[in-house]
Amino acid sequence: MSRRRTRRGDPVPAASPSARGRIATWRGQHAWSLHASVQRLAVHPIGTALTLTVMGFALALPLAFYLALGNLQRFGAALGESQAISVFLKPGLGAAAVAGLASDLRARADVAVVVTRTPQQGLAELSAMQGFGPGLAALTDNPLPYVLVVTPRAGPDAHAGQALVAALRALPAADRVQDNSAWRGRLDALLTLGRRVLLLLGALLALAALLVVGNSVRQDIQAHAEEIAVLQLVGASPGFVRRPYLYAGICYGFGSGVVAVALVLLLELALRGPVATLAAAWGGSLRFAGLAPALLLAVPFAAAVLGWLGARIAGARHLTAAEPY
Amino acid sequence: MLPASPEPAAPVIRLDQVSKRYPGGHEALSQLSFELGAGEMAFVTGHSGAGKSTLLKLLGLLERPSHGAVMVGGVNLGGVRRRGIPRLRRQVGMVFQDHRLLMDRSVFANVELPLVVAGVPPAERGKRVRAALEKVGLLAHEKKSPPALSAGEQQRVGIARAIVGKPPLLIADEPTGNLDPQLAVEIMGLFAEFQQVGTTVLVATHDLFLIKRMRKRVIVLDHGRLVDDVAAAEVV
Repeated sequence: MSRRRTRRGDPVPAASPSARGRIATWRGQHAWSLHASVQRLAVHPIGTALTLTVMGFALALPLAFYLALGNLQRFGAALGESQAISVFLKPGLGAAAVAGLASDLRARADVAVVVTRTPQQGLAELSAMQGFGPGLAALTDNPLPYVLVVTPRAGPDAHAGQALVAALRALPAADRVQDNSAWRGRLDALLTLGRRVLLLLGALLALAALLVVGNSVRQDIQAHAEEIAVLQLVGASPGFVRRPYLYAGICYGFGSGVVAVALVLLLELALRGPVATLAAAWGGSLRFAGLAPALLLAVPFAAAVLGWLGARIAGARHLTAAEPY
Repeated sequence: MLPASPEPAAPVIRLDQVSKRYPGGHEALSQLSFELGAGEMAFVTGHSGAGKSTLLKLLGLLERPSHGAVMVGGVNLGGVRRRGIPRLRRQVGMVFQDHRLLMDRSVFANVELPLVVAGVPPAERGKRVRAALEKVGLLAHEKKSPPALSAGEQQRVGIARAIVGKPPLLIADEPTGNLDPQLAVEIMGLFAEFQQVGTTVLVATHDLFLIKRMRKRVIVLDHGRLVDDVAAAEVV
């Protein structure tokens, strides 16, 4: 065995712990700390459960909001292409006139695609929707007009889009022009706001979770003042004294992450039915989507990191103050 | 038996002009100087407030002196930074009047604590804890918790904890303060036994009866000053 030197330079006797010995020592000390902290959490089951629940709720809230936002976004996407403009033509226009108009529009520089939807297509679409079938079957002739769905060429500014809408409105054959992009714009703005709110909410509630862990660990430390003093008297390093509290913080964090995931899964379960009913009423194209499994798996681990951080902050404040001298 | 050495061993404790003034102005120690050699045992005595406890606190780095140098095992404690304190405390076994045991842990776990802290492997810990408990006569009680023991037994658990790490220096602050005379004699006998195997022992006590009976060196403090230092042979 090679002789090692400590930082101070004094030779360590050949019997000094080998690398394997040091790992065993390290493992032994960590096992002791983990055991001590888990025992502590188990001694106060109600207090521990309360801390876990409060933290779990704090973490579940942004998750629930994220869930709602994601579904809203999918809902918006399902409503159609963002840029499409629907031009409802005057009734009575013949197929040839409509085709001519469509090819005129395709020739425009600011138009990318023009799709013609015949009254028959419109009727078929309508009768496929719930509740319309019987009423439509009673009609003797088709009251629906031709519709041109115009997709503008992606332009550098919104004004170009507005100019196209104005031009379409000015067409003599146009009965009504529905600009979906304005509606989409509003939804997009709302979603952007929602994402910002989610970030802020997430940050605030993560901070709240941090404070909850910090407070629980502070109480732990105060409840074990005598033990901490004894450990310090028999030569425990600050790291050793602090370790059980860091483990407790990690346990609090991980446990509350599991609680948060369970809450969100319950929420998903509760919402799945009503959302499906709602989607069916709107045409049946939308399905409720839960949070990604990878995200759900990551939540307890991220929460554990949060718990560790909270415990570390509390430990830095209250354990240093507890040092004799 | 200690080998007779031609050169005097380096002192385990050396105080040089040590003063300790607490915030508020009370001077607990003033210009205290003495040495305690390796394997020596001494009593520190004096009325309450004479500075006995303060002296022991300086040796365990629970306090820092206001002036002067405290050396333990050749290390000047003034040069020991915060990070170095745990390492020093493992070299000094401390026994307290109120023994400071963890009441919610078993006797075994209490005695094991210094070894856990020092990173001794579990298998080795078991052996050493039992050896220490055997030495203080409590091997049969290792699974009990301290409240189930008598005052004298609790103090012996405290002593086992102080010696389990085989520190070169053992200091005790009024270890027999709460015990009846018979138990006190037993406890002091234990300290004398540790001296026999080479441990340096410093015991603060105001029990003059015990001091006379033990026939060890006596350091007498009064208002923080050294007023007498009686060699073991001169104790009558």
